[in-house]
Amino acid sequence: MMWRWWREVKALLAAPRRVWRESLLTRTVVVTTVLSGMAVTVIGGYMSLTIQSSLFNSRLDQVISESVRTSTQLQALFDNSVTPAGTIDVETANSSAQTAIRTNQSVAGSGGFAILRTPGQITLQTMTSTSTSGLDLSVLSTSLRQAVVQAPESLHHQSVGLSVDGQVVPAVVTASVIQVPTAGQYELYLIYDLSDVQATLTLVQQTLIAGSLLLVLTISLVTWLVVRLAIRPVKVAANTAERLSQGYLEERIEEGGEDVIAVLARSFNKMADSMQGQIVRLARLSKLQQRFVSDVSHELRTPLTTIRLAANVLSQKRDQLDPESARSLELLETQIERFEVMLTDLLEMSRYDAGAVEIDRDEVNVVELVQDCLDQLAPLAEQKGSLLLLEVLGGYGDVDADARRLRRIVLNFVGNAIDHGESKPIVAFVDSNEHCVAIAIRDWGVGMSEQEASRVFDRFWRADPSRQRTTGGTGLGLAIAQEDALVHGGKIDVWSEQGAGTCFRVTLPRAEGGSIEHSPLGLPPETDLVDATGAFVEPETPEVATT
Amino acid sequence: MSATILVVDDDLALAEMISIMLRGEGFVTHHAADGPLALDQLESINPDLVLLDVMLPGMDGMDVCARIRDVSGVPIIMLTAKSDSTDVVRGLENGADDYVVKPFNPKELVARIRARLRPTSDAQASLICIADIEIDVPGHEVRRSGSRINLTPLEFQLLLTLALKPHQVFTREALLEQVWGYQYKADTRLVNVHVQRLRSKIEIDPDNPVIVETIRGVGYRSGKAVASGEGVTPAE
Repeated sequence: MMWRWWREVKALLAAPRRVWRESLLTRTVVVTTVLSGMAVTVIGGYMSLTIQSSLFNSRLDQVISESVRTSTQLQALFDNSVTPAGTIDVETANSSAQTAIRTNQSVAGSGGFAILRTPGQITLQTMTSTSTSGLDLSVLSTSLRQAVVQAPESLHHQSVGLSVDGQVVPAVVTASVIQVPTAGQYELYLIYDLSDVQATLTLVQQTLIAGSLLLVLTISLVTWLVVRLAIRPVKVAANTAERLSQGYLEERIEEGGEDVIAVLARSFNKMADSMQGQIVRLARLSKLQQRFVSDVSHELRTPLTTIRLAANVLSQKRDQLDPESARSLELLETQIERFEVMLTDLLEMSRYDAGAVEIDRDEVNVVELVQDCLDQLAPLAEQKGSLLLLEVLGGYGDVDADARRLRRIVLNFVGNAIDHGESKPIVAFVDSNEHCVAIAIRDWGVGMSEQEASRVFDRFWRADPSRQRTTGGTGLGLAIAQEDALVHGGKIDVWSEQGAGTCFRVTLPRAEGGSIEHSPLGLPPETDLVDATGAFVEPETPEVATT
Repeated sequence: MSATILVVDDDLALAEMISIMLRGEGFVTHHAADGPLALDQLESINPDLVLLDVMLPGMDGMDVCARIRDVSGVPIIMLTAKSDSTDVVRGLENGADDYVVKPFNPKELVARIRARLRPTSDAQASLICIADIEIDVPGHEVRRSGSRINLTPLEFQLLLTLALKPHQVFTREALLEQVWGYQYKADTRLVNVHVQRLRSKIEIDPDNPVIVETIRGVGYRSGKAVASGEGVTPAE
């Protein structure tokens, strides 16, 4: 439940989060708005509080002074009401006191008054406690009443909430003590309604809030405008950089003005200029070198053709030559062959180096292709005493590949295996899975050390210079094979152990862009056809083809 | 009668060596060192086949090839040092029938030459109709509503091979073997380019061919053949 809810919230938040991450403008405006909002809130709050307290205090001062005056006046009034006979009509004095209070209070809006007898007195007579009609005496708190009794000489005041027409308005109650002759001590409570102060405060606060909102909005707007203005050149620079990276080397930023943006534009353009220069120069160099290698190879081909034709013509008269001349002619012919292979390999390598290789994909049946390669090299293998075996575990279906290059890879592997196989059997494996197809060629020959095996793809590298070479490889074969595999999106792996043999395995995706993570064949693959010593074991299944 | 071959190559040593080799095979050879000379000799000696180096000084081999095609259907085999796609395809598009890459095997070159000099067909049929064109086999002519369409011998051979077996789809490899005389796998671009050239000559709308149809992933097939009054007897 919790998870689901969390996921939904996350999903809902995904879009805003993306905008947040992607838009500097949004981020800046939001941050500015939040921060300025916070600042304005603090300042506004402080201002509001200050205004509130100063309004209240000035009003309180007024209230207090008025109360003191009223209180003094009443005390005088009661004192003066005593007749020379020493009697007093307290009720008459009381009513004139009320009139006096009303007169005083009418100046600034009032919430009423109360004259209450301090309880617990025994006097000659009592005066009736009075209060404004409708005044809820509960506003006069016990604490206030006690405070008045305890310190009758000073004026007390307390803020209270006053109920007026069902609404609670702020008010101040002042309390003082009046000594009524013969009737004892009375407490005078004057209630001052502060709703006018509250109204002023509310107005001030409303103005403050409205002003703050407007201010924040203005700040946000200004930020938005400024950021947009500042971002625009950055955006232009970003777009231009993008175009440059796509290969449009002519792309530049418009330069204008003298400000920092213009400096950015100029520096950017300068960078683009120098980059373009470098790229063009390197491209030209690379092209020149490629042209050179290619031209040399081609130029060599014409004389080579002539030499070859000449050797061929001589060869037809071989029987008229003495043995030494005949052998020389033979050597000449094989070396012409080797020269030619070298030229072809060099040219192919230079094409790969120049990145000028295009592969010609077609439906290829890997099993047939490997069988073809084995057939082609069977005479050579026979000459060396090696038995060529094919073990097909899968891969009957067609794959999308360049047959010529794939054939070249396999021929190279098999050729190497024959060269170094020490006349032991050689097994070609083919297998596939849903993503890729693999071919492995295993021999049980001399093998290589780990260090040697790591260098087999190096150009012109040979495992052992003293080792006998029969196929007259150019030293580029495996380097080209590796490029051939790479250009298919595939790879070549090698396993080798001194004295136990070597296995080369190529893994290719079934179609362009496929994955080759798991090769269908082991390295080296298991087989029942050959035992550990490299001896051929007669198979029981008739499908295995021997060539 | 031995066939006459014109060798066009600016490399004198190679040209001489090719001539020696070809004479050894029983051909008569002539040599031209550049394009203009080759065009002159084409008229004067009327060779049965031209061996043309694509890298010539002055007039480029491609241009020479196109110029020869303008005036003659003589088989042209290009000699090229570059097997890169663009060069070969350009040469074929300019009208070369076939190509060999230097340094070539002499036997290979001779085989290519003989394939091009071979009598074009031993077909029994005399007149074959496909769509709206008719093929006059003994007369080596292709006509559309009476007017003659100029085809090179190779193009004629290609069309005839397809037309003789109207229901059969030919793979490119099969055509290479039957028309070009290749015994092993060769460059199928030869077929593609020549089919395009053939179509541009015989099809009314080469983009929507009805005479030589493409069967995707397999090869080519001739359009529906219509038997003439004399009857069609496809060759074995």
